[in-house]
Amino acid sequence: MTRFEIILLLLPAACATAADFHVDFHNVAREAGLTLPFPNGGDRAKQYIIETTGSGAAFLDYDNDGLLDVFLVSGPGGTNRLYHNLGNGKFADVTKEMGLEHTGWGQGVCAGDFDNDGFTDLFVTYWGQNVLYRNREGHGFEDVTAKAGLRQDRTRYNSGCAFLDYDNDGHLDLFVANYLQFDFATTPKPGENAYCWYRDLPVACGPRGLPFDRNILYHNNGDGTFKDVSVVSGIAKPAHHYALGVLTGDFNHDGLTDIYVACDQTPSILYINRGDGTFVDEAPMRGTAFDDNGNALSGMGAAAADYDGDGWLDIFRSNFSDERETLYRNRGNGEFDDATLSAGMALNTRFVGWGCGFFDFDNDGWPDLLLVNGHVFPEVDRLGTDIHYKDRAILYHNNGKGKFLDISESAGPGILEKHSARGAAFGDFDNDGNVEVLVNNQNEPPSLLKQSGKPAGNWVTLKLVGVKSNRDAIGARVRLTAGGRTQAGEVRSGGSYLSQSDLRLHFGLGSAQRVDRVEIRWPSGVRQIAQVEKDLPINRVITLRETR
Amino acid sequence: MRAISAWLLLTVAASAQQDPLEKGIAEFHRGAYAAAQASLDQAPDSPQRRAFMALARAAGGDCEAARSDLARQFAETPDAELRRLTGLALSQCDLAREHYDDAFAVVTRLKSLYPGDADVLYQAARLHMKAWNDTLFQMFQKAPSSYRVNQISAEIFEIQGRYAEAAAEYRKAIEKNSSALDLHFRLGRALLLQSHSPQNLALARREFEAELSLNPNDAVAEYEIGQILLAGQDAAAVQRFERAASLDPGFAEALQALAKLRMDAKQYGEAIALLEKVVHLQPGNEAAHYSLMMAYRNAGRAADAAGQQAVLDKLRQAPEGEFTDFLKRLGDKAPPQ
Repeated sequence: MTRFEIILLLLPAACATAADFHVDFHNVAREAGLTLPFPNGGDRAKQYIIETTGSGAAFLDYDNDGLLDVFLVSGPGGTNRLYHNLGNGKFADVTKEMGLEHTGWGQGVCAGDFDNDGFTDLFVTYWGQNVLYRNREGHGFEDVTAKAGLRQDRTRYNSGCAFLDYDNDGHLDLFVANYLQFDFATTPKPGENAYCWYRDLPVACGPRGLPFDRNILYHNNGDGTFKDVSVVSGIAKPAHHYALGVLTGDFNHDGLTDIYVACDQTPSILYINRGDGTFVDEAPMRGTAFDDNGNALSGMGAAAADYDGDGWLDIFRSNFSDERETLYRNRGNGEFDDATLSAGMALNTRFVGWGCGFFDFDNDGWPDLLLVNGHVFPEVDRLGTDIHYKDRAILYHNNGKGKFLDISESAGPGILEKHSARGAAFGDFDNDGNVEVLVNNQNEPPSLLKQSGKPAGNWVTLKLVGVKSNRDAIGARVRLTAGGRTQAGEVRSGGSYLSQSDLRLHFGLGSAQRVDRVEIRWPSGVRQIAQVEKDLPINRVITLRETR
Repeated sequence: MRAISAWLLLTVAASAQQDPLEKGIAEFHRGAYAAAQASLDQAPDSPQRRAFMALARAAGGDCEAARSDLARQFAETPDAELRRLTGLALSQCDLAREHYDDAFAVVTRLKSLYPGDADVLYQAARLHMKAWNDTLFQMFQKAPSSYRVNQISAEIFEIQGRYAEAAAEYRKAIEKNSSALDLHFRLGRALLLQSHSPQNLALARREFEAELSLNPNDAVAEYEIGQILLAGQDAAAVQRFERAASLDPGFAEALQALAKLRMDAKQYGEAIALLEKVVHLQPGNEAAHYSLMMAYRNAGRAADAAGQQAVLDKLRQAPEGEFTDFLKRLGDKAPPQ
């Protein structure tokens, strides 16, 4: 075309309203006792990229009391904090007594019972040394980083992480993404080179212009120690990526856990597990590296669910402003199509998206999606445009026909609150059948988004306990049949943006009054079918243990 | 003339000798143009002496005296480097005298002789910038009330990312000349650049439709409306893209948009045919190669898909050169293992 350049629309569309949905999310963090702010660099201007990427949030039940507790990661000037769920909608800060006080450039968090003692452990990533905390039977956490062989020989900008059992030996291994190489001494200041500008504003430099780093895979030796197998496994091979959010899942149904990494300004990575201890990045040909024009976007967070009910895990990735979010639909063989536009998700291009997750907020049996936003540069507010440092969240409702409707504007004040949000974790902290969302906001107290009403549909939450498989059943896949439909779910460590969601699996059942069948494929290879009794109650948490 | 001496500093070894020619060249490199001329005056006549004398005079600001020798050396010297240097100095002299036609002729010749030369490209950029500025000044001075003044102002605002101001200027231009082609299109485009809000989409579509009412054969306006319809999940988008492609069979973006819709409909054969046409038209179109790779993959043509991936990988290799080196120094390099 010779006339002049074409505008390639980012293709927004009119927002749908949610008049038909009784959705009313409120931020209940203050009432719940989550009142302390979590510092993360400058709030009006940022000098360095390290100030822009933190930090993550986690829901985990560290003391096995059946109630999800809260863990939040902090930048310098504060400490990470663990809040114990008191069971009455309130949380108590137990950071100090549980041995979790720690300062530094905290980034991500992931959870998993790496020593199979029945108590979920924690891993926290840093610019600097990561920390592995062993859970001492719910009474405290012990820093076992050095003992476990996880100390790093140089300062690294570790970002997302996930426990996974890539070789299905029953012991959780550990994947750690690395963003880039950064140090305060050599990184240019805002405006000092071409990569330190945004829309004529001098801003924190990078990631372009800063050296790449590579990702890390640690193999669990089964004796409380890990071995760095990054090079031999092929994990270290992708060399030109700025890696952030980590998402694990068996995307091609071969019984092996694969790893998807959302990458900033570079192609995202899909490490396909070859089953022989090695991985290969097949993202370009499998269709998850780029957008549908073949452009690498600024990927931040990632989430997976079978949103269209075909039994295969699909992938959502949050991106930068002036980019679409990306929804990759699994074509049924681990190959993906970019379905962003056809699913109606190309609406919101003014947000920088971070934490994200599929969750069935109305319990209709179809996974909906929420993502939280906030620009990387506080300076952007000076532009007077519709792009802001602090912004609202986005809530999409899945209509069950492959389409999502943006119902943010009518989904309650919690969704509309403006923060510079980063990590987001999903979990039903009060076991009422409504999944809540925990959000880590830069330099502010966290948000705890909860619906005011009761869930519209029935539900069931499954807690899986591995026996031959890893204790937390990470990597276990569930197919649940109810009301004539079968839904799929997978137990996952990490995900979203540098965050940890509930390890239990929540399923909305709609109007179905019973669960007909639960099929579990455990990481050990055991296939277990639970033919549920007629009188099995729904609307509760059910524990399922692996059979030998 | 500082720039000329800088070029020479980069390209000619400077070692002061007693020989008046070499001494003059060395003095030139030090920026001692008067001394250089005095030394070169004492050197035996040679093409090199005449060339450097002309360069020294030009560098000293005496283009009048230097120009004929520069022109002769540029036309006649068999020495490629001397031809490059005298050409650069000659174009600079013509630019200083505001003889743009002469300067353009020299720069055009230089670009054909030294297509990748950074100094030549820099000089060409300066020349175009100066000509642009002078012409713009004339326009504002001689036709201040013309719609073209509003149009050019809008285009400048667009370049600066000030889309609201650009839209306002386009509206003023339309008010002055509502039948001028391109104004509605450009206004629609500025609105899209400003925001993708539903309101702006609707306003932009209205402008593209207005452009089509002036020029029903405007394929790009059809395409943009197709994009807006696609955003709204409106099936009518396909007709718009089809019409855009029929108006301009070489309109790659329209063909690509159609191909994507065919892909969505699982009509991979048709998508492949469209995309093969695009990559034939535009072998460097990365987006088209990517879509073709996906179409082949979805059609089960794994080898063809791999072939497209290879093409894509090759297209995406950073070109070797100074800028790539600059990036490498900044840090776009492989990580330590």
